[in-house]
Order: sequence, then C-alpha cells, then structure tokens
Amino acid sequence: MFWRKKLTEQEREEKEKSYWSYVKRQYKKNKRALFSLYVIMFLGVIAIFADFLANEKPILASYEGTISSPVLKSYAVGLGLGQWPVHFQNVDWKKDVNYDWVVFPPIPYYPSNLDFECNFCSPTGEQPGKTTRFRHWLGTDDLGRDVTAGMIHGTRIAFMVGIVAMGIACFIGIFLGSFAGFFGDTEFKISRIRLVLTLITAFFAFFYGFFARSYLIADAIMESSLSFMMTMLTSIGIFVGIIALVNLLVVPPLKKIPFLGKQVTIPLDIILTRMIEVIVSIPTLVLILAVVAIVEPSIIWVMIIIGLVGWTGIARFIRAELLRVRHLEYIEASTALGFSRFRAMVKHAIPNALSPVLIAIAFGVAGAILTESILSFLGIGVPTEVITWGKLLSLARTAPQAWWLAIFPGFAIFITVTMFNLIGEGLTDALDPRLKQ
Amino acid sequence: MLTYILKRILIFIPTLLTISVLIFMLSVLAPGDPVEKMLGATPEGEPIPIEAYNAMRKQLGMDLPTFYFSMSSKAYPDTLYKIPKQAHRDNLARIVGEHGNWPEIDKYYKNASKMFDSAYKIERDSLNPKALIKIKELSELLLIRYKDKDITRAFKKLKPHIESTPSTATMLPLYNETLQSYTTVTSTQTKWKNMVPAFIWYGTNNQYHRWFSKFVTGDFGLSYVDKRPIADKIGDYMYWTVILTLISVLLTYLIAVPLGVFSARKKDTTTDSVLTTMLFVLYSLPSFWVATLLITFLCQPDYLNWFPPYGIGEVTENTGFFEKLGIRAYHFVLPLFCWTYGSLAFLSRQMRGGMLSVLRQDYIRTAHAKGLSGGKVIWKHAFRNSLLPIITIFANIFPRMIAGSIIIELIFTIPGMGRLLFEAIRYPDHPMVFTIVMLAAFLTMVGYLIADVLYAVADPRITFK
Repeated sequence: MFWRKKLTEQEREEKEKSYWSYVKRQYKKNKRALFSLYVIMFLGVIAIFADFLANEKPILASYEGTISSPVLKSYAVGLGLGQWPVHFQNVDWKKDVNYDWVVFPPIPYYPSNLDFECNFCSPTGEQPGKTTRFRHWLGTDDLGRDVTAGMIHGTRIAFMVGIVAMGIACFIGIFLGSFAGFFGDTEFKISRIRLVLTLITAFFAFFYGFFARSYLIADAIMESSLSFMMTMLTSIGIFVGIIALVNLLVVPPLKKIPFLGKQVTIPLDIILTRMIEVIVSIPTLVLILAVVAIVEPSIIWVMIIIGLVGWTGIARFIRAELLRVRHLEYIEASTALGFSRFRAMVKHAIPNALSPVLIAIAFGVAGAILTESILSFLGIGVPTEVITWGKLLSLARTAPQAWWLAIFPGFAIFITVTMFNLIGEGLTDALDPRLKQ
Repeated sequence: MLTYILKRILIFIPTLLTISVLIFMLSVLAPGDPVEKMLGATPEGEPIPIEAYNAMRKQLGMDLPTFYFSMSSKAYPDTLYKIPKQAHRDNLARIVGEHGNWPEIDKYYKNASKMFDSAYKIERDSLNPKALIKIKELSELLLIRYKDKDITRAFKKLKPHIESTPSTATMLPLYNETLQSYTTVTSTQTKWKNMVPAFIWYGTNNQYHRWFSKFVTGDFGLSYVDKRPIADKIGDYMYWTVILTLISVLLTYLIAVPLGVFSARKKDTTTDSVLTTMLFVLYSLPSFWVATLLITFLCQPDYLNWFPPYGIGEVTENTGFFEKLGIRAYHFVLPLFCWTYGSLAFLSRQMRGGMLSVLRQDYIRTAHAKGLSGGKVIWKHAFRNSLLPIITIFANIFPRMIAGSIIIELIFTIPGMGRLLFEAIRYPDHPMVFTIVMLAAFLTMVGYLIADVLYAVADPRITFK
C-alpha cells in the first residue's frame, strides 16, 4: 500500500505542476504583467532590507579593534536579546564615535532623524555642509528628515499593510466564501439538536471567552500588542474549545433521539450574500475612517480594519468558483468513496478553487496600500511619528515650494498600486484565457 | 416587474436594520462621555454640576439602556446604566469585576460620591486650602479607581488631610462611613457571580430604538462642535458637494461613453491601444497625488500661477450672474478634474469592454449583414446591451453626494460634505460622523436599489433570484 500511495501523490503533484506551469506560461506571455511582477519583487526586496538600505547606524563598524554590525545588533536589542555596549549608547552615530573604520548604509539616515542644518533641502540645490556621501538625494522635509529614507521605510509599511490586511481578508473570505459556495442554500444540513446546542453554547462560549475576560483583554491592550495578541488567542481558544467540546461530546448521543436528530437545512449562501451586502453598502473609505477614528492611532489597527472590511471580494470569488466546482465528477467521486462532504470541500474543492483568489488578492493589496496612504495623507489613524508615503505627500500641502515632497512619495504610491493592479490583470488573463478581451 | 421591485425593497429593510445596528454599536464604542462632550468644557476643571449633567443626559436619552437586551454576568447590575457619568459607570463595572457584590458596591459608591460632593461644599478659609485640594483629589480617586490596592491607599492618604484642619474635620463621620462600606465590599465579595452569565431584556425603551426612530424621521441629534442640529449643518454643507457631484457625473457620461464606444469600434488599431493605455494610467493615478501635484505646480507663485489654490471664490450680493459663474468655474476647474478623471477612466474602460463583448454577438453580425450603417448598428443594437456599466456609475452618485470626496474637498478647501466629515472625525464629533456614515450607507443602498431596477429595465432577462 505504501508505494501505491506514494505514486498517487506523485501523480497529483505532477498534475498540479502542469496546471501551474501552464498558468506560468500564460502569465509570462503578458509582458506588462511580467514587468510589474519584477518591479514588485524589487520593491519587496527594498521593504525587507530597508534597515540595511537607509539607516543612521553603520552596517559594519570597527571600534577599538572589535568588528560589529550595529544594524543587526539593533534587531537583537529590539527583541530584548542584547544591550548596546557603552560606547554605542545614545550616540550620534556619525559624529560621536571614533571608528577604526566604518561602512554606512547607502542612505546614511533613518526616516525619523532630524537634520536641523537642512530644512527643506532641495535635491537639486545646495545642501550646506553635506558631502556627496551624506547628501539628501531626494531632499528633506520641514524638520530635515531625509525623504529617501522615508520612502525606503515607507515601502516596508506599505507592503506590511498590504500583506497583513490581505492575510486577514483572505482568512475570513476563504472561510466564509467556501462554506457558502460549496454547500449553497440547500446542502448544509445539520441535526436540530446540533443547531440549537451550538447556538446556546455560542452564547456561553462568548461569555467565558470574551465577556468574562473583557477586563483582562482591556488591560492587555494597555500593556503591549504582544500580550494583547496572546490574551486574544486564549479567548478565541476558549470560545472555539467550548463549542467544539459540546459538538464532539454532547451532540452525538442526543442525535440518536429521532426528533432531535432530524436534519434542518441552513441556507449558508443567502446568509453570506446578505453579509456581503451589508458590508458593501457602507462606502469603504467612510467606514474605515469612522472605525479608525474611534481607536487609538496605530498602524496595526489600520491593517486589521482594512482586512476586516476587505474580505468581500475574496469571498465572492471563492464562492463563485465553488458553486461551479461542487458538482464536478471528482467531488462526486470523493462522496461515492464514502468521504464526508466537509472533507471533499477542504481537501479537494478549495485547493482547486484557490487560483482565482490570487486575482482578488492582487487587487486587494493594491486597494489596501492605497487606503493606507489615504489615511496617512489625511492624518487619521496613523500615528504622527510613523513616516509613510502618504504622510510624506501630505507634507507637500503645507510647503508648496518643496516640489520633491509632492513628486516622489506620490510616484511611489502610484507605481506600487498600478503594478499590483497590472499583476491582477495579468493573473486574470493567465488563469482564464476566455476572459481575455 | 412590480413583484421584482417589491421583492427587492423587502430585502432592503433587513439589510438597513443590520447596518443601523452595526453603526450604532460603533457609536457606542466611541471613546468619551457624550453627555460631558455635549456640555462642553467647564472652567478650570471644576466638576460639572450633577443637575446639569442629569438634565443633559435625559435630553440626549443616555439614561436609557443601550439596546433591547444586554448580555452580562450575574454580578453585573441591570441598573448600572442609571448611574450618571460614564467614567464612574465604567469604573463601577470594573469594581464589580473585582468583587462581584453589587448592593454593597452601590452603597460604597453612594457614600464615596457624597464625600466627593461634600468636599466641594466646604468653604475655603485661611487654614485649609492645601488640605482641601488634596481631599478633592483623593476623594475623586475613590470614584475612578477600581483596584483594591489603589482604593486602600487613597483612603489611607485621605485621613490625615481630613483631620488636619477643623473645617475639613467635619467630613470625618462621612469618611468613616465610606471606609466602613468599602470594608464590607471587600469582606463580603462574591466573585463567582462574575462567572455566571445573565441575559437581561429591556424592551423598546432603549437608546438604539430612540436613535433609529428619530433618524428615520430626520432628527439626527446635535453636533458636539456648536450644538446645532446635525440635519441643519448637513443641509448647509451639502450644497457644493451636490453641485460638484452632479457636474462631475454629467462630464463623466458626456466624455466617457462616446470615448468607450469609439475605442471599441477602433479595436486593434494604434488609436485604441494609445487610448486604452492612457485610460489605464489615468485610472491608476491616485487622485490625492494628482491634486497635490496640480496645487503645487499650477497654483503657486513659485511655479505656474494659473489657478486659485483654494476655496470657491468670493462673491458679493451684487456680483452679476455671469461674473459669479465665471468666478466659480475658475475655482472649480481643478477640483472637478480631480473629481472626475478616475470615474471617467473607469467608465470608459467598462464601456469599451461591454461594447466589445456585445459586438462579438451574432445579432450584430446580422445587423451588419442586412446593410445597416455602422453608427446605426452601434447605437440602436449594441448600445442598449452595454448599458450596465453606465447604470453602475449612476448608483454611485447618491452616496457621493452625502460623503463627498474627503480628499479633494480637503486639498482644495471646498466647504462640502467631505470636509464636514473630515473635521467631524478630527474633532471628534461622533454624532456627526455616524450620521454621515449612516446616511452614506442608506444612500448607497438606495443607489443599488435604483440600479437593480434599471438593470431589469435595460435587460428584461434579469430577474430576481
């Protein structure tokens, strides 16, 4: 049996490979989309290595014979795993330390570094006291903060917002969309007792998971985002655990009673469509603005809120795909082999329906990045000390003479959003050649 | 058709109710005490007189329970909403969380607030100013701290100050009583009650019911900023937003529809590909960047000084009509451009796509074959079937009239709805924010409703599923 199983797995892998290699070939034909992908990869590299590209700290420094990397060290210090040696504590990295030799990052500034000698330094004009090495290549803002550094670290924030927000949206969208699509309005049947007990336990589970712990959660928010996440995870664990426990232990014996065991149909598709209608009925930006306005300004909240609002597109895509897939032969075959519908959905239907979700993700990331830059531009929800593209662009409004603040950050937003949109279009064409116009 | 519209309206209602509950929940979660905000700041941090507070609270309906029902624990009192001052209410809820015996906590709270009030009633004399300040401070701590440690410490510090001067010593019996009642709280605590869920039904006399029924009749409440009715303020600010939206939509249709059709007819020519690329770039340009660029480079003396950088222009009563029109138009060129180009590009692209899919159909070939002119085929046979994107844009007009374009109105300082919303969020003026959100949602739904009906009119095959 062992070899047989291995073989089928191999076969499946090969099939998958051939499908994806087909998609890849199709995608590569589209030069615009391919170019966009490379640009995004390039920006992704900038986002990942932002600390090495623009930083006040040296990448490598030799001090009294010992060689160290302050940039790497700052990660350790940030995680609480190390401490700065005395000669590096609270220093101006460029002036205070007598290095034997030193390698600064290409842009030797951190976005929040103030340079009082150089307010609104123009990229083309004279920059007093700056050698070529320490020149502000894209100028500075009102406080002398380097725009290049802000742009590089802004890339990181933009990508983080895009990825985290879409991660949350994917989780919700795939979960809800696949249930609604696979079971439709008629095929999700559960016994009366399970329905009633689950609803009742949901009440109790919510009480013990969240209500009874609400002060713990509130205190955790005050403490740190890490402890908040841990408390939240525990709460979710309690919530899910109680419901699962009742469903696994209490429901099966009671189901044997004929009246309680009678099946009722739950119209999952109608429920999901109504939910989506509620969300899309509120203009997205207005909703996000209103929600952001009642929480403490934090980039984390911005990501979470964009994610919580942005799942509808993904849910629609996967729902439509599963509505099509659910009656295909291979799903019927899995049912005929005696596997549960649930297993057929998770193991066979969803993996085959995920490819169109990629399209929704590409457009979704573009939307999330745009929303974040609008929020930063308006100065709502994003803390003032965080430098983002939108924040830099908004500075141009107060200082019309600083044309570099109007051009560069906006260009970065435009390029990133457009490239993600082009990738989305490319994927649309590659995944379904029929749609190509 | 009529049944279709009726059915469509029927599902409109539950969605609207759900949205209203959602938005109401958000407004409840908004930080700050609405009553205190409505009363405004008191001079020198004096506490708001309790009579004024209670009167305003009643006027705002904040003395009612929040919703039809509440879910809480057995320890949690069902009458907590009757306690004035949100800060005290929140703190009491936390004390309940610590100890779980509401009747005792209630007694303690009443004593503590009596003590707090009496501290303000003591006349200032030559001996007591310092002690009095301390007593006021510490007795307030008793009302806004919930941890046993903090409360005990406040009690301990309070005693020497009360005993220090003859006038303050009159508070001593009250102090002892309060301390006594707090000891009862800690000694008879019933923490287990916090772990027993409870469900309380309040009926229709609640804040949500009141808010929503008033909302339906057009009474949106008062703004925190100037205490004016929100409906009046919205009426003032809507003017320019409605005008700009209407002009913008008109321009969009006038330019985008012919452009889309033209582009579809010229498919696979250089004209088409240039046009498509241009429209794509236009579509992808974030409007707040374009607006910033325009204002930087076209409205400043440093570069080109072609347009006014902000405002809607000043007119007096005796400015002539055409002169007025000219001033307004001069000010509106750039905002209108930024307002329009995005949807223009979107609609043109949609129009082109829709037209192309229609032009592939057999009946178009038939029309050509029977010798109709190109224009006749396009406008008589193809156009109606590619109407759907036009309707989609039409549905978006309504919410845009109420929510405006926050960014463009902000950049060009146009006194419209977007600016009102932005300023309300910044203030923060929560009643205004949530009214605008609610109205925007309502109008979006109305837009969808109208669009769905129009879809059915344009394409008889569409039926309600």
